[in-house]
Amino acid sequence: MNTPQMPPLSAVEESRLEDRLAELRSASHAIEAPTAIEAKLRQAFRAKARRESSRPRLWWMPPFALVATVAAVSWIARGPTDLPVPVAAPVQASLDDAGPFLALRPLSRIALEPSATIVRTEFPRAYLAQLGLPVAPERAGEPVQAELLYSADGEALAVRLIDPN
Amino acid sequence: MDPKTTMAPRDMQPELSLLSRLRRGDEEAFAELYRRHKDAVYRFALLWTGSAATAADVTQEAFLAFIAKPEMYDPARGSFGAWLCGIARNFARKEAGLREDATDPSDLLADHALPEAFVENVTPEGRLLADERADQVRAALAAVAPHYRDVLVLCELCDHSYAEAAQACGIDIGTVRSRLSRGRAQFATQLSRLGLLAGSPRVKEAS
Repeated sequence: MNTPQMPPLSAVEESRLEDRLAELRSASHAIEAPTAIEAKLRQAFRAKARRESSRPRLWWMPPFALVATVAAVSWIARGPTDLPVPVAAPVQASLDDAGPFLALRPLSRIALEPSATIVRTEFPRAYLAQLGLPVAPERAGEPVQAELLYSADGEALAVRLIDPN
Repeated sequence: MDPKTTMAPRDMQPELSLLSRLRRGDEEAFAELYRRHKDAVYRFALLWTGSAATAADVTQEAFLAFIAKPEMYDPARGSFGAWLCGIARNFARKEAGLREDATDPSDLLADHALPEAFVENVTPEGRLLADERADQVRAALAAVAPHYRDVLVLCELCDHSYAEAAQACGIDIGTVRSRLSRGRAQFATQLSRLGLLAGSPRVKEAS
């Protein structure tokens, strides 16, 4: 695309251009901003200062939030999670002493169960992962013997592996 | 060396001290800063827009923006005056966008709100002639493309250095130079059309 270009100014034109610019420059040097502006700006400045002084000082909020977040994350990362905890005293005596039951529901819920039932069963080892227990991927398909503690309405409350290996 | 290529060394400490006081809510510090820069900002806005009323609005808006967020100005990036002119430039462009006729030369010729100081004061006849010519010169300036007018007004009429113009417009110094050259050429063309330069009207030629 062709860009329109101006021919260079002649010496006379250049001189006249400088004259016109000088005229504008000298005329504008005497110009001052209207005095009314300052009063309006001062008013705006005072209003802003008032707003800021009446606003509660919350400078401590961001660092506090950061510290609280770090503390919460580290507690979650290190602290106990939803992994089942061993049941110290099984609700009912088991058929043999294969090992402790692992609670699948809160202990308070299990303690309130009036008539829990222990059922011996067998299921694929992969199911242990759903109960929050570690499973080696290469053994996920193997069957595993376990005892499940059921509530009266059929809810699994705890599990005990008969053959944890 | 071209004196416009570099910023004049100046002691910015008093201004920085005022800024620091202002950020703590000191109204007198703001008033002092305002008085230091109000005329320069207003002059720039007046020359850019060609209207005293719009220039007053632009000046007020620029300082209001500064009051709202004084932390926007970073002393490491240049002078406070040039920064303010940059803010005023943005508002002037906005005004021109909102009111398309604000930079229409025919409207500017009819603008009687311009201050008396804008024209030369001589004899009544001379005053009439000067008045008419001043109007025409302003109209010619208003007809220059905005991005050329920016640097033309800043460098040629408001005594800002190239570096300050670059800061105000957010461009580099090389662009300031080229825009200034083209802005002068456009201004000359407009003046020529109005018979304010010697010779016949200048004509564009395609390269």
